[in-house]
Amino acid sequence: MVRLIRAELRKLLGLPTAWIGLVLGTLTAPVIVLLNAPYTRRAIAAGTLTDPSDLGMRDLGVGLIGPIILGVIVVSSEYTSTGPDTPGARQLTATLVAVPDRLRLLVAKTTALVLVVAVQATVTTAATLTLTQVLHGIHAPAPAPARVAAAILYWTLTALLAYAITLITRNGIVPLTLLIINSSVVSVSYLLTKVTDLASYLPDIAGAQMFIGTAGFPVEIAPVTAGMVMTAWVVALLGLGAVLFQRRDV
Amino acid sequence: MNTARAELRKLLTLPSLRRTALLTCAANLLLAYAYAAAESRGEPLGDDAALAPLGYTQAGFLVLGVLAAASEYQEGDQIRTTLLAMPRRLPLQAVKAAVLAVVTLPVAAVTVATSTPAGGAGTWMPAATAYLTLTTLLGAAVASVVRRSVPAVVLLLGLYFIAGPLLRARTATSAAYLPDTAALDPSRGAAATITWTLAALTLAAVTLHRRDA
Repeated sequence: MVRLIRAELRKLLGLPTAWIGLVLGTLTAPVIVLLNAPYTRRAIAAGTLTDPSDLGMRDLGVGLIGPIILGVIVVSSEYTSTGPDTPGARQLTATLVAVPDRLRLLVAKTTALVLVVAVQATVTTAATLTLTQVLHGIHAPAPAPARVAAAILYWTLTALLAYAITLITRNGIVPLTLLIINSSVVSVSYLLTKVTDLASYLPDIAGAQMFIGTAGFPVEIAPVTAGMVMTAWVVALLGLGAVLFQRRDV
Repeated sequence: MNTARAELRKLLTLPSLRRTALLTCAANLLLAYAYAAAESRGEPLGDDAALAPLGYTQAGFLVLGVLAAASEYQEGDQIRTTLLAMPRRLPLQAVKAAVLAVVTLPVAAVTVATSTPAGGAGTWMPAATAYLTLTTLLGAAVASVVRRSVPAVVLLLGLYFIAGPLLRARTATSAAYLPDTAALDPSRGAAATITWTLAALTLAAVTLHRRDA
């Protein structure tokens, strides 16, 4: 199993697009904290800031493009054709020759993805929060360890969500479009909460409440419940993806 | 003329394009409904409710352009066959862009028409249709430089939906120079959209002309 995970890690980290995801995801949030520092100072001085303990935490949402890219391409790279001279060949064929047990393969893939994203999330969260402390130290209380852990968990679950959707669609474009639009400033899920309160239980809206103050949300969900809602989404989609992956032809 | 007919047939027989167009129209209907529902509940979501859904559905048009251009480079490099049949690359690129515009125009028109609330302002309809068509061409131009669909989609959507809103929020002056401002404020961003699209198309033509296929 360790060898399988190491192989999957090497495959993932050998993809140029994976490095785009790693670099973009890691740098976006700290850079935004840095760029927004003058505005944040002014907001603190004017007293217009709703919740100072959210400082830095809110910016973590923008870097989500990183885990989304990683989760998508870890699957979609297996399905793209390997080269111009062998149009029908896909990497998945070779992978399955090496590891015929598809469930074992999925477990190894999932573990590799979780490892990479968890490391990325830890580095980004640490950098963003340290930067926030350095820039606005007096006004921003140091966040509780549980909230920091919840932020890292949110990143990892988002990557797994992208991964599960790609397992179902077997194509990277659909999940990428869906999830990148949804990580935009005003997300589609947020729009849907205006139509029906049920939309508050969509994975990204519920998941964000694990570590962001619940003030701006139409239905307030306690952090632990929010984590369970998002985990339930991920587990359901991953289960469906795993069944399809095991049943479908390559 | 033969080239145009061949390119048209290639685009019309791509299943991924049909699926993208259908999904885009469906998503647009859903969003238009969401905005209308929010409005009737008395909590409008800021901007012009008729234009706002297009801010999201333009993603579908970007993807449409990317898939149309990147399909030449997937699964066995169709571009080699294309160039064998049509070796003059610059006219080929021009025909490709024109045919894609012709194919996109009706999809854009339907999308715009369905996002208009009943009897709502129809004055910006031609402008919005033109904007979506230009956005598709921009997506196609970027994809024919990048040559792979997933990185092209990441690049375009990252710029349109993450970098763009952040830049606009920081400095109001940058808004006039971004390619997607026209989706929110047609009078202000039109020049930028046209300039960006033309620049991307020129870059795509130059790279196709210069680079090995």
